[in-house]
Amino acid sequence: MITPKNRNTWLAPCILLLFALQSTADAHSGTGSAGGFVSGFMHPLTGLDHIVAMVGVGLWGAFLGGRAMWMLPVVFPVVMAFGGAMGVLEMPLPGVEIGIALSGIVLGAMVAFAAKPPLWVAGIIVGIFAIFHGHAHGTELPESANAMTFAIGFVLSTGLLHLSGIAFGLLVKWPWGRIAVRAGGVLISLIGFGFLFKFL
Amino acid sequence: MNRVLRQRYRVRPSLIFFLTFILQSVAHAHLTVEGIGEVGSGVLHPLMTPVHVLILLALGLMLGQRVPFDLKTPLQILAPASAIALLATTTGKINGVYPPILIGLAMGIAILVALEVKICSMVCRLICAIAAIGIGLDSGLEMGTALMVGKTLAGTWISINIATSYTAICASHGAEKPWAKIGTRVIGSWIIAISLLVLAFSLRKTS
Repeated sequence: MITPKNRNTWLAPCILLLFALQSTADAHSGTGSAGGFVSGFMHPLTGLDHIVAMVGVGLWGAFLGGRAMWMLPVVFPVVMAFGGAMGVLEMPLPGVEIGIALSGIVLGAMVAFAAKPPLWVAGIIVGIFAIFHGHAHGTELPESANAMTFAIGFVLSTGLLHLSGIAFGLLVKWPWGRIAVRAGGVLISLIGFGFLFKFL
Repeated sequence: MNRVLRQRYRVRPSLIFFLTFILQSVAHAHLTVEGIGEVGSGVLHPLMTPVHVLILLALGLMLGQRVPFDLKTPLQILAPASAIALLATTTGKINGVYPPILIGLAMGIAILVALEVKICSMVCRLICAIAAIGIGLDSGLEMGTALMVGKTLAGTWISINIATSYTAICASHGAEKPWAKIGTRVIGSWIIAISLLVLAFSLRKTS
């Protein structure tokens, strides 16, 4: 239970975070999309294929329930960063665009068909797709980007997309919500097909 | 009485957030240290250096995860180690720490947080000492009078210890709540991801 005392304990770190993030955002506002917190934060939000996959991960995690709800959003950013590092270091990875499109299709289908594989299988599926997404982001990062603030914005943004997927996925507690979530899965899958066959 | 308390605490956060935004811009105008004083700029230094923030955050979360919660033992190492490292910068022979080392340190501690590894007291002290020395050696001043340098380093020392303690206390509150424990591990995974990306960036720049 959050008591007034606990609330006060959490308040100060929040304020410190405001101080810290605000200044980092300001420090690079003049560099446009090249660097800084803001451009890092906006980067995952500029591609629909990325957005649907991130939301799909959260959605599937919430749909699977239990440990999966937090395990998938923990696995995804770490593996994605690994893929991002590969992209930054210009290590080749074939079929990145196809992998990204497939991620939308597969993750959406998992939600749409209410698939509940073992947690380790779900982790591997999510991990494989995370590498493609990370690699795509990594190769697109400009030389002039401020690495630290860019990475903070980038990871925070990705995490928040997962969180929005989880929040939507929590509707499965209600019968109508279950239908809505599965319909969301269908939509994600369709968008994935759109990218695979170049409709979008 | 409860109603009065509720109203009191409802007003306070919004007021503090509002003040934070206003004061932030005031402070920002003097971020080059003039105007906020040496101690103030020393206090802000670790909080304005992203890699220091990551280390302090990861360290605080790691200490807060420990059951039973004990802040006294790590602080017995953190406080003197950071003081010695900060004092060592005044010799003029140390020009900061190689950034990938600090990033690797943040990543290492964050891995322990994300995996919720139960570490023994000795390892905990060792990690505290390494983190304190890393941040301390990276917080040196290039110029200034002895008094100015002393005040700034004192501010930094206060900031390192308070930021770590506060994060640890916050994380320890969450030790009883499942969602907060998960949140702590998620933050740990985010720190790993950030560190990985930054390491890759620094490798690309050096190659």
